[in-house]
Amino acid sequence: MEEKTNEQEDQKSGPEGADPSLEKSTAPEKDGEKQEPVKKPETPAAKPKPAPAPKDPRDKLFKPEQTLIISSSPHFHTHDSVPKIMWSVVAALVPATVMAIYYFGMDTLIMIGSCVAAALVTEIIMNKMKGEGLTINDGSAAITGLLLALTLPPSLPISAGVIGSVFSISIGKQIFGGLGYNIFNPALLGRAFLQANFPVAMTTWTYPNTEKYAQIDAVTAATPLAQFKFDKIVANYGDLISGNVGGSLGETSALAVLIGGIFLLIMKYADWRIPVSYLGTVFILGGLFWFFSPGNYPDPVFHLLSGGLMLGALFMATDMVTSPITTAGSWIFGAGAGIVLVIIRLFGGVPEGVMYSILLMNAFTPLINRYTRPKYFGEVRA
Amino acid sequence: MAKSKTTLRYEFLKGLWDENPILKSLLGLCPVLAVTNSAINGLAMGLATTFVLLSSSIIISSIRNLIPNQVRIPAFIVIIATFVTVADRFLAAFFPLISKDLGPYVPLIVVNCIILGRQEAFSSKNSVFRSIIDSSGMGVGFILVLVALGGFREILGSASLFGVTVLGDWFQPWLVMILPGGAFLGLGIFIGIANWINDRRARA
Amino acid sequence: MNLTTKMIVVLTVLTMVAGGLLSYWDGITSPRIEAYRLEQLKQAIAEVLPDHESYDEVKADGMILYIGKNSNDPEPVGLAFEAIGNGFQGKISIMVGISLDFKKINAIKILEQLETPGLGTKIVEDPSNKEDRFWFPNQFKNLITEPQIDVVKNIKPGKPNEIQAITGATISSVAMATILNDGIQKAKSIYQLKVQ
Repeated sequence: MEEKTNEQEDQKSGPEGADPSLEKSTAPEKDGEKQEPVKKPETPAAKPKPAPAPKDPRDKLFKPEQTLIISSSPHFHTHDSVPKIMWSVVAALVPATVMAIYYFGMDTLIMIGSCVAAALVTEIIMNKMKGEGLTINDGSAAITGLLLALTLPPSLPISAGVIGSVFSISIGKQIFGGLGYNIFNPALLGRAFLQANFPVAMTTWTYPNTEKYAQIDAVTAATPLAQFKFDKIVANYGDLISGNVGGSLGETSALAVLIGGIFLLIMKYADWRIPVSYLGTVFILGGLFWFFSPGNYPDPVFHLLSGGLMLGALFMATDMVTSPITTAGSWIFGAGAGIVLVIIRLFGGVPEGVMYSILLMNAFTPLINRYTRPKYFGEVRA
Repeated sequence: MAKSKTTLRYEFLKGLWDENPILKSLLGLCPVLAVTNSAINGLAMGLATTFVLLSSSIIISSIRNLIPNQVRIPAFIVIIATFVTVADRFLAAFFPLISKDLGPYVPLIVVNCIILGRQEAFSSKNSVFRSIIDSSGMGVGFILVLVALGGFREILGSASLFGVTVLGDWFQPWLVMILPGGAFLGLGIFIGIANWINDRRARA
Repeated sequence: MNLTTKMIVVLTVLTMVAGGLLSYWDGITSPRIEAYRLEQLKQAIAEVLPDHESYDEVKADGMILYIGKNSNDPEPVGLAFEAIGNGFQGKISIMVGISLDFKKINAIKILEQLETPGLGTKIVEDPSNKEDRFWFPNQFKNLITEPQIDVVKNIKPGKPNEIQAITGATISSVAMATILNDGIQKAKSIYQLKVQ
C-alpha cells in the first residue's frame, strides 16, 4: 500500500506542467484530478494547449489533501472518527474519575494528571523516534494514561504511576507500531509491569476518606476481595455500589463505572457482547460455586460488584484493538476472560484477576479471530 | 567492499557490531537471558564463554587439517566440552560465589551456539592467528552485551552496579528487571535499539 | 591410512588428551572445592551453634546430625542439621541449630534458596528494612518449636512460637516454617533412634 502512494506522489511532482500531454493521459486517474488546479496558475502564459481545466466539472468536487489515507484499525464505516470515539471514552470515564477524587482526595487528580502527561510525552517522543507525525490528537494515549491511573492503588507513589504510563505507551503500544497494532491492552500491560515491579506497593490499599473509616487506621486497608479471600468477610452491596471500600482509584464504585460504560454501549463505541458475556460468565460460574458451597465462595452479585471487574469488562476488555472483531469471537473472548477470572479469584494466590484474565484473552484474540472468521459464501467445509 | 571485509581489523571489529553474536546473530541467548541479573554475573559468564571460545578456536584451527570432515562435529564438541569443564572447575575452586550464582549455566556453555558456530564457520577454515582475532572479537562483543545488559538490569532492578549502590534511597528498584521477565524485556530493548541505529545508519 | 582408521585415531587421541588434561585439572581444583565446602559447613554450624568447639556427625536416613561439643561441658551443647524442603520456586536448605530437647531453636542459616529476588529472598536479607536487614532470619533465634512454628501476617508475633511473615512473600515465609517443622520432627526421630 505504501509503495503505491509513493508512486502516486512521484507522478504528481515529476511532470508538473512540463508535459501537458502526459498529464492528460493520466487524467482519468485520481492524480490527474489533483494536479490540474495546481498547474493552472503556473502555465497560463505559455498556453501550449489551452487547458480545459476551468471547465472541468470535476473541479467542483471535494478534493482531499491526500488521495489515499492509510489508517490503522479500528476501521469504521460510519462518520465516527478515531478521535471522536476516543474522547467519548474519556467522557465515559468522568463519573468514575469524579468518584475517585471524592473518595481518595485531590491526590487522585495529581496521579491522573501525571499518568496522562507521561503518556502524552512518551507518545510524542516515540513519534519523533519513529519519524512519523504526532498521534496524540487521536486521544488514545490520553485514555491509556487515564485508564492506567484509575487502576492504581491510591497510595501508590506518583513516580510509579509515571513509570507505568511510560511503559504502557512505549512497550505496550508504540513498539508494536502504534494504535491498532498492539497485541495487549496498553493500560493493563502498564499495570502488570507495575505489579511485577512493585508488588508490595501495588497491593497496599487505603480506605476512602469517608466517615465509615474515620476511626480505622488507614495504613493497612484491604480490598473487599482480599477480605473475602483471607477472612471470609463479605462487604455490603451498598458500599460496593457507591465505592465506599478499599481498592484501586477508579474501580471501587461499581455504579459510576457502569454509568460510563452504558453510555459507551449506547453510543456503540464498545461491543456490548464482550461485557455481557464476561459479566455473565462470572455471574453464572461464580454463582454455581456459591450455590454448592456458599460458605467457601462469595455470591455472584459480590463477584460482579467487587474489584475491578466492572472497569475491566466495560472499558478494557472492550478495547477495539485487542478484542476479537467477529461476533462469535466477542462472545468467546468475554466467556474466556470470565472463566479465567473466576478461577483466579477462587483458587489463585491473589485475590483479584481482572487484569490477568483480560491480558490472557488479549493473547488469544488473533487465534479467536482466525477460528471465528465468517465463511465465504459458498465455501465448502473441509 | 569485499576486500575490506577480510582485513584483520574488520575480522576483530565485526564481532562488536556488524556480526555481534547476540544483537545480530541472536546466538547463545540462553546464558544471555539467564545470568544477566547483575553486571558481575554477566562479566563472569562473558569471560568464561570467551575463554572457551578462544581456547577451542586455537586448538581447532591448529589441528583443522587433521580432523576428518565426517567427524568434525564430535571432535569440536570434545574440545569445547573439555574447556567448559576446565572453566567450570576453575570458577568453582577460585570463585565459589560466582560459580554458585551462575549455577548450571557454566556447564551449559558447551551447547552455546556461538562457540560451535564460530568453529564451524571460521576456525575450521582459517589460520590460527585469524581465528584468534575472530574469536576475540566475538568474545568481546559477547562480553560487552552481557555486561551492558547485566548492568542495565542491575541498575534498575537492584539500584546498584557491580554490587555498588549507585542510585539513592529515592529510587524504588524495579523488581521485574532482575526476574526472568526483565531479561526478555532488556534484551528486546537492546536488540530494538541496535536495529533502530542500523536503520538510521542505512538511511543516512 | 584410510578414512575410517583416521577418524578412529583422531577421536581417540583427542578424547585421551582431553581426559588427561581434565584429570590433571581435577587434581588441582577438587581439593579447593572440597575445602571450600567444608569451610562453609563449619561456618554455618558455628553460626547456628556458637558455643560448640567440635562436632560429631551422625548419619541416618539421608540426614546428617551434627552434635556440637564443648570441652567445658560434658553434655553436648546442641544439635545442628540441614533441613531441606520446597520453597516458592525451588528447594530451600536451612542449617538449623537447636537445643538437645528439640524445643528451642538456637539460630538458623539459609544455605541455599531460589526464591524470587527482592521478595522471597528477604528470608535471607531484607535491604528495604534499614533497622535490621536480617529481621526475618533473626526471628528464629530462641524460637520455641512446640507445638509447632506458626506464621502470622501483618501483626507482631504474640506467642514465643510465632514468626511474622514477609509482606508480599507469604508463601516463602510459610515454606520456611513448614521446612523447619518437618526437619525438626525428622531430626528428632533420628536423634532418639541413633543417639539415645
